[in-house]
Amino acid sequence: MVKTFRPATLVNWRAMRLQRLVWLTALFVLLPDSVFAQAVAEGRVELQKSHAAPVIAKRYEIVTTGGVLATQPPLAVVYLDGSFPKPGSPPTKQIAQKNLAFLPPLLPVQVGTKVEFPNLDDTYHNIFSYSPAKRFDLGRYRPEERPIPSEVFDKPGLVTLRCEIHEHMRGLILVLDTPYFALTDADGRFRLSGLPSGRYTLKAWIDSKTTREQRVELKSGATLHVDFP
Amino acid sequence: MMVVVALMTGLGLYFAQRNVAANVERSLQQDFQGQLSALDKLQELRHAALAERCRAFASKPRIHAALEDNALDLLYPSAKDELRDLMEGEKPAPEQSAQSLHARFYRFLDQAGAVLPPSKPAEVGELDEQTEGALALRELPQTQQIGYVWENSNRSDSAIDEIIAIPIFSSDTGEVISALVVGFKPFEVTGKRTGVEMRSGIWVNGQLHVPSFSAAAEAALSPELNNAIANSDRARNNFIVRVNATPELLFYKRLNPGSLFPPAYEICIYPLADSISRQHRLRWQIGGAGVLLLLGGFFASHLTAIRLSAPVEKLAMDSEMNRAHRRRAEAALVSTSEELKRSTRYSADASHQLKTPVTVLRAGLEGLLTREDFKPEVYEELSALLHQTHRLTGVIEDLLLLSRMDAGHLRIDAKPVNLSHLVDQWLDDLGALSDGRDIKIEREIPSELYVAGEERYTSLIVQNVLENAHKYNRPRGWIRARARQENEQVVLTISNSGPPIPRSAKEHIFERFHRDSTRSAISGHGLGLNLARELARLHGGDLRLVQSENDSTEFEVRFRASRASPNRGSMS
Repeated sequence: MVKTFRPATLVNWRAMRLQRLVWLTALFVLLPDSVFAQAVAEGRVELQKSHAAPVIAKRYEIVTTGGVLATQPPLAVVYLDGSFPKPGSPPTKQIAQKNLAFLPPLLPVQVGTKVEFPNLDDTYHNIFSYSPAKRFDLGRYRPEERPIPSEVFDKPGLVTLRCEIHEHMRGLILVLDTPYFALTDADGRFRLSGLPSGRYTLKAWIDSKTTREQRVELKSGATLHVDFP
Repeated sequence: MMVVVALMTGLGLYFAQRNVAANVERSLQQDFQGQLSALDKLQELRHAALAERCRAFASKPRIHAALEDNALDLLYPSAKDELRDLMEGEKPAPEQSAQSLHARFYRFLDQAGAVLPPSKPAEVGELDEQTEGALALRELPQTQQIGYVWENSNRSDSAIDEIIAIPIFSSDTGEVISALVVGFKPFEVTGKRTGVEMRSGIWVNGQLHVPSFSAAAEAALSPELNNAIANSDRARNNFIVRVNATPELLFYKRLNPGSLFPPAYEICIYPLADSISRQHRLRWQIGGAGVLLLLGGFFASHLTAIRLSAPVEKLAMDSEMNRAHRRRAEAALVSTSEELKRSTRYSADASHQLKTPVTVLRAGLEGLLTREDFKPEVYEELSALLHQTHRLTGVIEDLLLLSRMDAGHLRIDAKPVNLSHLVDQWLDDLGALSDGRDIKIEREIPSELYVAGEERYTSLIVQNVLENAHKYNRPRGWIRARARQENEQVVLTISNSGPPIPRSAKEHIFERFHRDSTRSAISGHGLGLNLARELARLHGGDLRLVQSENDSTEFEVRFRASRASPNRGSMS
């Protein structure tokens, strides 16, 4: 797919200015609350024991075991479920294709996030997804493809990324409604800060078929310890 | 003979013809089997190629994504892109369509084996409901399946499609999640290679489809084929059918053994008319050759027979001549016999006629000898003459006896004769002879040896043999007489010293009037041994020369031993 150059720099510049204005306004509005009413949740998710050899390079990949997609070694995504005001403009994230694998293999994003798929291999890739949460097909492109092919994920759910050329490649994008989410480390530890106080459900996505959840009451300025056994 | 030859030739030809027919049949079958196995290989390769192609398509990530990521609505659209080559590609020419790997349609099966309905049938090959239903399987297959379906069977443009079902394994779970069923135009057999039009078709679900056959011919063939397939326990078989009143060899073979799809059979039909006409021609050729051979043989044998019969005919002629010879010889024999009879009679008559004058002569001489007024020389002369008359009398008596024997008039009144006694008497007489030769006489005669015979003739035999031994002896020689009983015979052996009988004379010593020329000085009339032998034979015995070498000649006389008691013999 060849993307043509769009002569819309001015429009973009305006949009950026507007974005900055929105961010500043939000900062002012939220600052007192975020400074005084921020809550922290931290703890540990009991991850499945990895059967693979210890990973030195910390490379993670998506593996399917009996139809279940998960990272290997296991990682979990912990997020605060609930209805939160959407950010004006979610950040742009990246999943690269490197050495015929998605990097990172698992990416949690907030709804509306634009994800770029830079090709860091010296070959064609054709990223597509037939997942209900997002169907797209970027077509074939080489590393020098500019702008970097991207998609905006505007519907919550798990999106399975595939490459039409390299059928073994799998990537996962977990599109969440919430802005409060974090990836655990290899031991399953997580820390979520800047959470709003109140009663919520804290969820831990472990694999495509397993999501654990716990009811939590977050108090401003307090750190809640939550473990997912 | 000719009948036997003709029969044998006919039999030979018959078996040769049968053999040839069997060979033709076998070669036909082999040809057929060869073609079929070549076809099998071709089919196998084709299936492998088709399956490989289909498998490559089925493993496309988009198709997997559609099936695994719950996006069935994208299945056919994705497949449309992926299988474009298979479905569209280059449209082959109609006559090559069967050889190409061009697909006519494709469908995906769901988890239960049912057909996933395509959103746009035109893109995946339109099928009527029934045909589409026939693509479904009871369950998803683990391996590729080959099947045959009737496409649009209720329409005039119906055709059989070859279908290949390729299982699709989930890349997530490794389980079969779907199957791709692709339909192709079946491979068609053409008999171009053999020059004979071999037709092929497919039998599936009790229906036969041979492209080059009319519907009527197919219908006519179907029941027989259905029956054969239903009763066949073998994967491949053949039988002869009649299509449009011409015989054809029909082979059928299961196309998809072990398939989840209904069984289908490949049907190959091979016209036999050509082969049969060839066989007929061959039969005529063999028959004609046989007849020619037979005729040739007949003439050859006839010629040979003529050649062979020439000597046989000559032989017959010779034998005719021989017969004439024989007749002449027989006639000669008869005349000889008559002459012999006549001569015997003559001899007897002569003897009788001679006897009387000799007797008169002897009486006269004896009368003269009684006179005393002659000179002494006259007495000597007279006594010599008298001796000659005695000798003459002996000859005449011998001749008389012989002629009686020759005429068969001599009858032996066999009685026990004391041979020991007889021999002793004669030996005594010989010993008493004073001829100045001083011959020594030895005897080994057991007493009381009795033989069966007439004493007069037995005595004559002994006398003749002993006289012979004395006559041909040498001065100071010896005569040895031995007798012994051997079973039923008494053997008397007389041997004497003296010059041996020459080899050339040995055969003739028993002949009448034979006298050894070398010993002509010795007196005798040459009848003695002959007479003795004839008499011995008449008595059931024999006389033979045992040996005559150096200074010894030995004769042996055999008599029949008498069964009478010695007492009785001694009394006689």
